[in-house]
Amino acid sequence: MDVLEEPGKKVVLLGNEAIVRGALEAGVGFVAAYPGTPSSEVPMTFSRIAKKVGLYFEYSSNEKVAFEAATGAAWSGVRAMTSQKHFGLNVAADSIPPVAYTGVRAGFVVMVADDPSAWSSAQTEQDTRYYARMFKMPMLEPSNPQECLDYTKLAFDISEEFEIPVFLRTTTKITHSIGTVRLGEMKKPKIRGRFQKDPDKYYNLKPHLQVLHERVNEKLKQIEEKYGQKLNTVFPGEGKIGIITSGVSFEYAKEALLELGLKPPIAKIVLTHPISKSFVSNFIKDKEAVLVLEELEPILENFVEQIAKEANPNLVIHGKDLLPKSDEYNLERVIPALEKIFGKKLGIDFNDHKKKVDSASKNLTPRKPVLCPGCPHRSTFYAVKKVFGDEAIYAGDIGCYILGALDPINMQDFIVSMGAGIGVSHGIGIVSDQDVVAFVGDSTFFHAAMPAILNYRFNNAGKTPLVVVLDNAITAMTGHQPHPGSGFTGMGEKVEPVKIEDVVRALGAEVKVSNAFSQKQLIQALQELKSIKGPKVLVSRGGCRLLTRRQFHAKGLAIPIFQIDQEKCTKCGICTNDFACPAIVKATVEPRGETVYSINPDICLGCAVCMQICPEGAIHIAKREGEK
Amino acid sequence: MKFDVMLTGVGGEGVLTTQVMIARAANIEGHYVRGVQLHGLAQRGGVIPTFIRFGSEKEVSSPGIMQANADLILAFEALEAVRATYYARKEKTTFVINDYPLVPIYASLFNIPYPTMSEIVRRIKPFAKQIHVFRTSHLGREKFGSAIFGNTILVGIVTGLGLLPLKADSLREAIKVTAPREMENNIKAFELGLQLGKEKRSARRVT
Repeated sequence: MDVLEEPGKKVVLLGNEAIVRGALEAGVGFVAAYPGTPSSEVPMTFSRIAKKVGLYFEYSSNEKVAFEAATGAAWSGVRAMTSQKHFGLNVAADSIPPVAYTGVRAGFVVMVADDPSAWSSAQTEQDTRYYARMFKMPMLEPSNPQECLDYTKLAFDISEEFEIPVFLRTTTKITHSIGTVRLGEMKKPKIRGRFQKDPDKYYNLKPHLQVLHERVNEKLKQIEEKYGQKLNTVFPGEGKIGIITSGVSFEYAKEALLELGLKPPIAKIVLTHPISKSFVSNFIKDKEAVLVLEELEPILENFVEQIAKEANPNLVIHGKDLLPKSDEYNLERVIPALEKIFGKKLGIDFNDHKKKVDSASKNLTPRKPVLCPGCPHRSTFYAVKKVFGDEAIYAGDIGCYILGALDPINMQDFIVSMGAGIGVSHGIGIVSDQDVVAFVGDSTFFHAAMPAILNYRFNNAGKTPLVVVLDNAITAMTGHQPHPGSGFTGMGEKVEPVKIEDVVRALGAEVKVSNAFSQKQLIQALQELKSIKGPKVLVSRGGCRLLTRRQFHAKGLAIPIFQIDQEKCTKCGICTNDFACPAIVKATVEPRGETVYSINPDICLGCAVCMQICPEGAIHIAKREGEK
Repeated sequence: MKFDVMLTGVGGEGVLTTQVMIARAANIEGHYVRGVQLHGLAQRGGVIPTFIRFGSEKEVSSPGIMQANADLILAFEALEAVRATYYARKEKTTFVINDYPLVPIYASLFNIPYPTMSEIVRRIKPFAKQIHVFRTSHLGREKFGSAIFGNTILVGIVTGLGLLPLKADSLREAIKVTAPREMENNIKAFELGLQLGKEKRSARRVT
């Protein structure tokens, strides 16, 4: 593993891997996280190396719990870290501000990955930089994998020096980017500590609360003074127009300016909270204009505006007047902004090129993300639609089944947040007599769905929605991390899996369990549950087929695959247009232009559901070469 | 020096592993490497545009390639080569395409048939300096039992053709680290591709 390579070596790391290396170089001893892409490779990498390195790692049941566990370690003197995607921070948010006030003993880094452009998310493009301001925590922002390593390491030191938890914020194009990284010395982790009672530190009731509040304000002031100049850099250049930037936008600015042959001075801000007033003031005082390059919200820009009032009232400030507040930046977005300000042209007309590309791609078969071949969720969706039809309301949630929002499934009528499908359905069920089915995944069930189901039991009114738990025994979407129902931990230890049906019963709801790959079982269970009043849950259980295939391969076995009997196939199109497994292909075969349905043996994962839904019985297990 | 490679294909095809392989080879030769993989939702049967950029640290900083600026585009899935034209232009870009259709479900759903290979080439032509087409997935399945080996064969081919400015030895070393479990077959697949590429060098191009 490159992440454990020798000091001094140069290796190519993913931003997320570089963060892990930085934490190892800081001697992190305790890591807890709930996976969320684009941050998922942080816990995944820790999970792989924890035993070897000798640190404690866990996949917690959600981000809040992870943050709390890491707090306990940091309070007890062990360097700790937690990581999450932007929405994950919303879940943890309840517990974070009190810890910012009380502070920590050992270094504590809270890593968060935003997702401008929503490459790995639905819902929103929230800018978590606001949290640093609201919670009064310092925030460091790297630009590339090398800085991911350097600033993670430094974040631990700052955290420990000022006894305050520190945010390390990245975005998708940093965490999921690769880059050459020079490795430093790893520190042996300290994994044992002791909690010392200390009312002066932890007692956060009034009036001592205000003492803690003043203390955190003072810490931020000191951090601004000590690191404001040190962490932020001015790259000198020519002219009276300057660039102020941070994060990945710095990487775009650097390359765009090189392409344009421009050399303006650049101020790069790494410590984006607290931003150094003197640093910004010094940079802008002799400028005529600045362009602030930052994705999403104009946080730096607003700050510059505020400082300019005193430091340079005539300064012209560009930023969100030329670039969008939504979506991500890239060279094609940054270059036109620079062209406008500096009056210099690159000579490539991006719009013209885009038009040519659009014309070349006209009427091209679209390709969108799709549930994998063999996915148990496709089978469950198919059966639910058979029983509840197109008119029922289908509440969505967060996980692979989010892809049920797309054609031809169309069974995620709304998507809010982890577990929210069940919560929102409760309200619909009370005010409306529509049939409501709320889908939720297994990992999401443990993460956030339990209180909402409990609420059905507590406030048992109106038409109670049916909850369908899509249980594939793993957190699949983010890369197959274990959860309480998986039977193993992030350290690879075997544990007794928690059965979802046991939890549901304890929460006071009726529960049925069905094999997700059996249409017959699913339909029977769904029909029975449909007639039941009150809280009711179907656990549709079937393993992620990607993992099943891996398990087969590990045993030296090939997964059975299916094929279509051309004699029996009546070309009705149910398998491609209603069931829509990507392994089933409809193609026109030359020379006669005949339409043929077939199964791609390279991607079929042998779930056997197509065999059950084919009205002609035309699908059967394929014989492999050499088999009789 | 700056060299921009784009890989494109469909989630599950092994595009990311190939990215790591090429990035490691570039690192072995002392290049500064940048790049980005776009996954998440796209992991599930969606398009995975993937970039590897290498050269001097001064010239390479953005993780993604600029529009119309790829030097080399490897399309692991034929149709996706067309969508990759966003990163291509006639004076600069060479396409190497694996003729291996993964027909999206939308072809049948929306009745938009999957284009023929000649149709694909026709659409790409205005954006390509050269276009090479190989059936490496078929070859991978035939010779090594799985279509996935087509990826390493394709990397071998572009090396053999002299289209990827990295040494065969660096790629061999990178393959060993990147695919330790299937190392033997991957090395063989690479050598096969290398040979095919070298032979093709003197042969007529598809375009």
